[in-house]
Amino acid sequence: MDPDTNDIISFQELSLDKENELEELEEEDELEEYVTVGFLEKPKHPKFLLRHRFPSKTGGAPAWLDPLDLPTGKSSICDFCEEPLQFLLQIYAPISDKESTFHRMLYVFLCPSMICLLQNQYEQWKHREEDPRRSVKVFRCQLPRFNAFYSSEPPRRDGNDKPLIVGAALCSWCGTWKGEKVCSSCKRAPYCSKKHQARHWKSGHKIQCHQIIGNLETNSSSVLREKPPDKVACRLWPEYEMVIEDECAFDLEGSEDISCETSSLVPKHVTDDTYQFLLDKFEADDNKKSWASFQERISKCPSQVLRYSRDLMVNPLWPLSIGRPSLVNIPKCKYCNGSLCYEFQIMPQLLYYLGVKNDSDSLDWGVIVIYTCLASCESNVRYKEEFTWVQLYPTAPVT
Amino acid sequence: MAERGAGDRGGFGRGFGRGRGDRGDRGRGGRGRGRRGGGRRDEEEKWVPVTKLGRLVKEGKITSLEQIYLHSLPVKEHQIVDTLLGGRLKDEVMKIMPVQKQTRAGQRTRFKAFVVVGDSDGHVGLGVKCAKEVATAIRGAIILAKLSVVPVRRGYWGNKIGKPHTVPCKVTGKCGSVTVRLVPAPRGAGIVAARVPKKVLQFAGIEDVYTSSRGSTKTLGNFVKATFDCLMKTYGFLTPDLWLETRFSKSPFQEYTDLLAKPTKAILIENSETIEA
Repeated sequence: MDPDTNDIISFQELSLDKENELEELEEEDELEEYVTVGFLEKPKHPKFLLRHRFPSKTGGAPAWLDPLDLPTGKSSICDFCEEPLQFLLQIYAPISDKESTFHRMLYVFLCPSMICLLQNQYEQWKHREEDPRRSVKVFRCQLPRFNAFYSSEPPRRDGNDKPLIVGAALCSWCGTWKGEKVCSSCKRAPYCSKKHQARHWKSGHKIQCHQIIGNLETNSSSVLREKPPDKVACRLWPEYEMVIEDECAFDLEGSEDISCETSSLVPKHVTDDTYQFLLDKFEADDNKKSWASFQERISKCPSQVLRYSRDLMVNPLWPLSIGRPSLVNIPKCKYCNGSLCYEFQIMPQLLYYLGVKNDSDSLDWGVIVIYTCLASCESNVRYKEEFTWVQLYPTAPVT
Repeated sequence: MAERGAGDRGGFGRGFGRGRGDRGDRGRGGRGRGRRGGGRRDEEEKWVPVTKLGRLVKEGKITSLEQIYLHSLPVKEHQIVDTLLGGRLKDEVMKIMPVQKQTRAGQRTRFKAFVVVGDSDGHVGLGVKCAKEVATAIRGAIILAKLSVVPVRRGYWGNKIGKPHTVPCKVTGKCGSVTVRLVPAPRGAGIVAARVPKKVLQFAGIEDVYTSSRGSTKTLGNFVKATFDCLMKTYGFLTPDLWLETRFSKSPFQEYTDLLAKPTKAILIENSETIEA
């Protein structure tokens, strides 16, 4: 009899533990986590998304905060396929504690190829010493209030705002990266990389080049304004403005009580222990639990695309339980060696707004979480790289 | 981070991480976003899919649940089932059961809800959810039930005239100590079963069936799950008309790989949709 009773006791303890876990989960949910969410909206006017308005936006070309010292070279290309990265989104996230972070922008770039993203997901587990390659990159740029690029007064929003200086030349094809190289024939069109130069050549510059050279010969003093990059041709993502809301603004008033007198087939007071078994089959499993709480959390505002919180108590909202980083996997800040903290995460709803196709090889992610330097350190590099973590949906069905 | 200087706020205009004190700006937020927070009813129209399957369904590339079943794709969003089955889906609460846990301050009671959903035409789902309030539990259970919708195969008892009305063969399902056996019945027999499995079978769209059960059927959870298990098995049973080899088609997620490089000789069979001939 003894082994049986022991089994029964241990089973009960197990079930109690489970109840404990469930209870803890619920209590966590009740703690008011202060999270800001971002929504996408069509901009009222594309002028509002220029850099002197300090926008938070998605798609199109980035509005570089520091217009001169842009990231170049290896930081602007995907480490796997060597294509220049495509601009995903930027957010304006100033920190009011320090003077140096009066203006603070975070830029997210990623390679639109799913193959690179899969490889990135594998490499992000590696230690920094192994020099892992990435296809998703985040840059942070901050400026004090009094700086050389913008006036120290807030923009007047009356249509007359202008930045103080003209920025560096951007690539004629993507309009994203700095145009360091120039077209060898007309010496006017800037490009960020050979690949973009080749594409622009094929899709129209071949004809324009001659015209430019012709114009140069006749009128050498005029500075030719290049046409703005053709967004459709180079497949930039559609441009949206990001609107910010507090998550708690969406808490609904107490749920209306669907009448408790719903007829049930069996009287309510009958209880049974074997329901635990049923629970296991239909509820449990870590992945499903995290998915369920993920769904519940986003159901408050289903069209959110970004979740932001610099509060140290807040954890990122993971859709799945597999593929989460532990403390070991998150490295120290590259510049000041301080610790990183979770700042914001990009939700998969963004893919819907970007109009990404849904083929078997098109871009898809579960969540992209960005960790930034807790101290938001300063260094001579203007655009500092931060750490990203991508969680993808498993390709094979996980039972 | 909680303290924000009242004077020099960081940045111009709206930015992230502005702090709780920023109530002034909420005016615009309230006006603009009020409708987002407000009507719960227009949740379905505002569904923004989170998974690729969801995006495919929202686009309209996938038109029936059978396409999803064919490739065994996991359904992670209940709105997918809502969109595909639409208004035909009905739900019923089978039982609300209070469960209690002993704490220092007394007992903490939560409610467990068992919900069955179905469209009376070959799809059933079962969901179980425990929550502090009855309404929350029911809502959660309905969502879980939608996620677990499975197809039910129906067949004939004798002459193959008219639509299928009964199970195609004798099937049995087991859960705990309860075993439920479904036996094909002639037309007009009706569902000969206890109250609990009868409900599930009605939702499945089975019109006539004989049942036989064994074990402690008083335990409603096991009884319902055994019936559900039984219905799941109807499509797992290999009958002679399924003897022909199937030619596999490309799943929406699978790439054009070695699957089609192998030579296959069979005729394509749409094994989910056809009525039994």
